[in-house]
Amino acid sequence: MAGSNDVNLNESKMVVPLNMWVLISSFKLAYNLLRRPDGTFNRHLAEFLDRKVQANANPVDGVFSFDVIIDPETNLLSRIYRPAPEEGPLLNIVDLQKPATSEVLPVIIFFHGGSFAHSSANSAIYDTLCRRLVCICKAVVVSVNYRRAPEDRYPGAYDDGWTALKWVNSRSWLQSKKDMKVHIFLAGDSSGGNIVHNVALRAVESGFEVLGNILLNPMFGGQERTESEKRLDGKYFVTIQDRDWYWRAFLPEGEDRDHPACNPFGPKGKSLQGIAFPKSLVVVSGFDLIQDWQLAYVEGLEKAGQEVKLLYLEQATIGFYLLPNNDHFCTVMDEISDFVSSD
Amino acid sequence: MKREHHQLLLNAADTSMASSFTGGGGGGTSGYSMVATTTPTTTGKSKLWDDEAQPGGGMDELLAALGYKVRSSDMAEVAQKIEQLEEVIGNVKDGLSHLASDTVHYNPSDLSTWIESMLSELHPSPSFDPMAAAALPPPQSLDDSFLTPAESSTITSIDFTDSSHQHHQQKKNIMQKRQDNMVFEDSSSSEYDLKAIPGKAIYSQIQQIESSTSRETKRLKLSSGCNPESLSPSSIGAFGVPTESTRPVVLVDSQENGIRLVHGLMACAEAVQHNNFNLAEALVKQIGFLAVSQVDMLQMHFYETCPYLKFAHFTANQAILEAFEGKKRVHVIDFSMNQGMQWPALMQALALRPGGPPAFRLTGIGPPASDNSDHLQEVGWKLAQLAETIHVEFEYRGFVANSLADLDASMLELRPSEVESVAVNSVFELHKLLARPGAIEKVLSVVKQMKPEILTLVEQEANHNCPSFLDRFTESLHYYSTLFDSLEGSVNTHDKVMSEEYLGKQICNVVAGEGVDRVERHETLAQWRSRLNATGFTPVHLGSNAFKQASMLLALFASGDGYRVEENKGCLMLGWHTRPLIVTSAWKLGNKSVIAQ
Repeated sequence: MAGSNDVNLNESKMVVPLNMWVLISSFKLAYNLLRRPDGTFNRHLAEFLDRKVQANANPVDGVFSFDVIIDPETNLLSRIYRPAPEEGPLLNIVDLQKPATSEVLPVIIFFHGGSFAHSSANSAIYDTLCRRLVCICKAVVVSVNYRRAPEDRYPGAYDDGWTALKWVNSRSWLQSKKDMKVHIFLAGDSSGGNIVHNVALRAVESGFEVLGNILLNPMFGGQERTESEKRLDGKYFVTIQDRDWYWRAFLPEGEDRDHPACNPFGPKGKSLQGIAFPKSLVVVSGFDLIQDWQLAYVEGLEKAGQEVKLLYLEQATIGFYLLPNNDHFCTVMDEISDFVSSD
Repeated sequence: MKREHHQLLLNAADTSMASSFTGGGGGGTSGYSMVATTTPTTTGKSKLWDDEAQPGGGMDELLAALGYKVRSSDMAEVAQKIEQLEEVIGNVKDGLSHLASDTVHYNPSDLSTWIESMLSELHPSPSFDPMAAAALPPPQSLDDSFLTPAESSTITSIDFTDSSHQHHQQKKNIMQKRQDNMVFEDSSSSEYDLKAIPGKAIYSQIQQIESSTSRETKRLKLSSGCNPESLSPSSIGAFGVPTESTRPVVLVDSQENGIRLVHGLMACAEAVQHNNFNLAEALVKQIGFLAVSQVDMLQMHFYETCPYLKFAHFTANQAILEAFEGKKRVHVIDFSMNQGMQWPALMQALALRPGGPPAFRLTGIGPPASDNSDHLQEVGWKLAQLAETIHVEFEYRGFVANSLADLDASMLELRPSEVESVAVNSVFELHKLLARPGAIEKVLSVVKQMKPEILTLVEQEANHNCPSFLDRFTESLHYYSTLFDSLEGSVNTHDKVMSEEYLGKQICNVVAGEGVDRVERHETLAQWRSRLNATGFTPVHLGSNAFKQASMLLALFASGDGYRVEENKGCLMLGWHTRPLIVTSAWKLGNKSVIAQ
């Protein structure tokens, strides 16, 4: 039961570092304020509370970033993160899109989480995460500032992801020297993970090559109440009730959670048999109440003969990757690094 | 089901709070240690908290990198408060919706205070004072000995009080005539006539600024006369000393220009805090007749096409209104008195106060008009007209001064602070003082003598005051590129060309000006904060209500054009997409125990 407290709060406090507990609990608190019972969202308060960070063309810890309006029609913005050159003068505006010199340069298109409603590409938590990905994977990261629910429902976020994919694919300065092609990976956490799957689908259908999908605690669901949802409801920061709210906010009005966007291998899902779907790395946290859906996703991919690796972190909660002070973080980063470099 | 998959089970034995993976000196063990920390001593490190992320400050570095200021030693207590708050929310009827819609939130980076203030909203405890808890340590006292005497300049005092009836009557007759012609224009021509502060900069010869578009990048090219060095991209070699400052860059990737309409000002309804559109319409008409012809046309045009001045006035007024709550006599001292565009909205808001308006006194300070007309006087008359129609007791005085540094508090005939509360307002003015040594210190010291309830400050968010030309060039390149890009939404080429010409002059001053002639010495919020803190001012936070109203204002005037409001430690920033362009901050004197709402 959501909010039935004393025992539950102590449980979640036991399994994460204290500062992480404070961080995730503050988010939970803020998010509770923002969701209105009538399905509307307090966007002004959300933007007020969200901690944002500017892009920085000056390298910091070996990474520099800049923002691009990749589609002025829709005001779609993406933040580009690049490894800074070893030495030399500070980059000027001309250098920002200088061609890479690597034989093989992974380009990770990243979709931030937030259950389709929260956060932005310039949210501090995601800016930090993307910078870490650049360093660990020696990759370029393109973080997409996709449209959010409830103002923009399905398929807005997917459309933006698709626009970003096409844009990245056509940047000559992102090509790997080896084959003069852009080596694209899709990555995302929570709703971002869901977007990864759906953008990959569109890519395959259109003949674009995506080298791999990385899904961190991806957001999937369905009409059924699974065992993990019932068991973990309200215990580790998340409730069934809030999950339902976000799906109602994102899915087309009148649709239920068996809509394929929510439940890709459910009754309305389509088969991926025989399709050249990218290989997938799926990270599932043992304390995430929607893990049964995530595991069903993995199973769906396997049954369709697709390559998928499951990384199941028994003692992890949602959001563990936002701070580096835990072993799950290290493990996952290592796996992601291997995943994008094994080409 | 789980067991059948290839899986990597992890028994996370070390997830207890004791294990921390702060990189820092840890080095070598794994590749990510270097990114997990923010050691401020090394150049080029991330500095979300420029002035506070010191190792000795005790702030949790990992949370600081994410925008949250929590002392490590307070972590357990903050956690406990969160639990407490969750419980209280569960127990209080409609607790959550009250906190969401009725409560004003401040400075969310200070987690502890934020949580505590929500607790006391729902569960009032007489001993807790959220504003006091957020107060900064007592400021250092200012040493006056270094202040240099100001150069002499002309100061004329123009006094308008209601008591001088005859004088007033004469003016009224004149105004009446003008008013018949001007006030009730039809709505299509009653635009909000925004006039910015005329600078005293001496601009160099070049006027025409072109922005050329490559396939993917917009670049600024200054024509050759502006600067002796050639400015083609290939000549941009090594830059000067690498700064630790942030260089936010927003590029526009466009094959074609997006054409968006920028609608003129519809109303100051939001500024009045009451959604009264009749009032707002009347206001717009009154603003229309405040316009005086002899102004810098380019400046005026720029501010009409862009929402910057609207935002500045609106947010500053919000802070002033809150500071004046409960006061019976108020006095605004405006350092940026130009056409007085900021004041009708404030006066209306005061008029609508429950309990009635205070007596409103305005002192407007501005430079001499280029045509030697008494423009400050005229503005005062018109505001007096307005005051009369809305039944606000009004008093006005205009001061013409070449520099704010020429002022002394004694000239202003201030009344005791128990009798009359003072607000000092400065919109895009203070940075000009940085051109002369000692000037800013003198002015801030004079402000202190005014004993203001509040000082509202709006400035460009840019670091355009570096000593090195190349640094200024780089910084201004990014800043003005973004400004130009934001202009792409302008409806016609004429608007765009005029705006670009205006900005071009400003750019020349920033980049090519020197010494006292270089007045566009924009500095960042961090720099202003530092200066004001050192001078004895403490922040007055702008809250979620001001944020919301400013956002709604933008939606009205510049909808869909990419403008965004952002909160930063109690200040509000207006930016284009992710690049902040101007900042509104509010300040009070450190040793006052006044709590701003």
